[in-house]
Amino acid sequence: MKHVLSALPAFLRVAIANMIQYRAEIALWAAWGVVSPAVMMALWNAAAHASSDPGRIGHRSAGEISAYFFMTMIVGHITAAWDVYEMGWLVRSGRLSASLLRPILPVWASLADNIAYKLVTLVILVPIWALIAWAVRPTFHTSAHDACLALAALPLASGLSFVWGYVVGTLAFFVTKMDAASELFFGASMFFGGRIAPIDLLPAPLQWVAQATPFQWIFAYPCELLAGQLDPSRATRGLVWQVAWLIAGIVAFRVMWSRGVRRYSAVGA
Amino acid sequence: MSQIVVRELSKTFRVPERAGGLRAALRSLIRRTYREVRAVDRVSFSVAPGEIVGFLGPNGAGKTTTLKMLAGLLHPTSGEVSVLGYTPWRRQADYLQRISMLMGQRTQLAWDLPAIDSFEVHAAVYRLRQDACRNTLDELVALLDIGDVLRKPVRQLSLGERMKCELCAALLHRPAVLFLDEPTIGVDITMQARIRQFIAEYNARFGATIILTSHYMADVTALCRRIILIDHGKIVFDGPLASLSARLAPFKVIVIDLTRDVDGFDFAALGDVLAREGRKVTLRVPKDAAASVTGRLLADLPVLDLTIEDPPIEDVIERVYASTRSAATAESAT
Repeated sequence: MKHVLSALPAFLRVAIANMIQYRAEIALWAAWGVVSPAVMMALWNAAAHASSDPGRIGHRSAGEISAYFFMTMIVGHITAAWDVYEMGWLVRSGRLSASLLRPILPVWASLADNIAYKLVTLVILVPIWALIAWAVRPTFHTSAHDACLALAALPLASGLSFVWGYVVGTLAFFVTKMDAASELFFGASMFFGGRIAPIDLLPAPLQWVAQATPFQWIFAYPCELLAGQLDPSRATRGLVWQVAWLIAGIVAFRVMWSRGVRRYSAVGA
Repeated sequence: MSQIVVRELSKTFRVPERAGGLRAALRSLIRRTYREVRAVDRVSFSVAPGEIVGFLGPNGAGKTTTLKMLAGLLHPTSGEVSVLGYTPWRRQADYLQRISMLMGQRTQLAWDLPAIDSFEVHAAVYRLRQDACRNTLDELVALLDIGDVLRKPVRQLSLGERMKCELCAALLHRPAVLFLDEPTIGVDITMQARIRQFIAEYNARFGATIILTSHYMADVTALCRRIILIDHGKIVFDGPLASLSARLAPFKVIVIDLTRDVDGFDFAALGDVLAREGRKVTLRVPKDAAASVTGRLLADLPVLDLTIEDPPIEDVIERVYASTRSAATAESAT
């Protein structure tokens, strides 16, 4: 842990410097994070206006749908993690070797990269979010209780996304090519996380599947919490689920990492 | 007391293989076949503190695989290793803190940032005290003469400049054991010489134990008194460089320059004629016969210049590999 505390600030400084070096690319990635939720917001609003109960889908009004998808923009940014893609490349190319030679787990450098990206891109995203909020006028019912819970729920969601992305990323130690698995993970996180549609609008069997994955606790739960769309008991229970999934993720990571490193063949490096 | 002890170390890789063509590709969908490749085969050796050992072998001989196991990057299939009292593949932070591995074909530096940024991260990761780190860095920068390039993005450095920065990063925490895998690969001859000189100075000043692999014999002859030759995963020679020639190449190479053309002189009767270009003749003769052949050449020919040399180390090593291969072939035939 001493190594981690000493290294994290330096990792963070260098990661921010690196992001600034690639500012145009980073800005495009950040903007892309807004496009998908904006499209979903427009689609579901159109569906609400065309529904048999005009202006409503399920128990949500058009404004509440806008609030939900507006929050998926922000939560999507806070929970962004790409190690599931990165690990495949690092292991396959042997580039992981340089990190493995250091007296600190490579996961900490990835974490610093992750935090740096989120901090640097806020400069672009905050004005965009403000503009969208002004344009679509989402309807929030967020209580003080919800806001307090969100202070814990957002970092937990971010941690969950990072850890589970890394867990799936460590499959790279066991298979030759990870691209399909990474895409499957990403697709599942979109669908079962409630980024395509709120989970309560999915058919019942798919809702059961969503219950069995960590994705809803990464996306749907903090979005509904921040939009004020959860009753107080479910809001509090969600936090417990997040902690449970995070612990499970950390245990899974430790097992996968220690087994994976044993299989690492350091190809070409 | 050895600092590195390797006993019966082996590493076997399981490699998928199939014949060429669509039919074989489809068959491999149902039944994949694998071949076991023994990259390192029951290798044993030890290295004393402060020693520089050259680890040599042709491509695919197992030298880099061995180094990776010593550095903790790879888990062996069997065998034992102790480096500084640690088992490398347990990857304890205290162990990684005391070693370094430089891979000539891989960068450890952040590609888009100046090397000085990577050094800063390095100092933090290895928890170096600020003043001590500053002193070491100043010293390394002066020794490697990289003051002018520290602030340029790594991607804009020449290969030689980058290699010197890689060396600086690898040594910033003053490792007690250093694994150098092709440290001079791709750099020009002048830069190779400077890197060699630097490695020798580092070893002399800090008493670091160094294992070096290189395809450049100049690296090995300049730095290593002891060499380990590995071929097909097995050690075929372990000993002083000097004794390699004595034991395995009992020849001398005699080069003569003549003042005028001589016709009809039978050089082949004196030894193997390795080359004949104009009035320059190169002969390989048994070591015991070198004196008498020299006497005969001087007496019978108009000699302008004559030199007697040991055969090139590359030739000696090639002879070692050739003799091991023919022994292995003979063994498998019986």
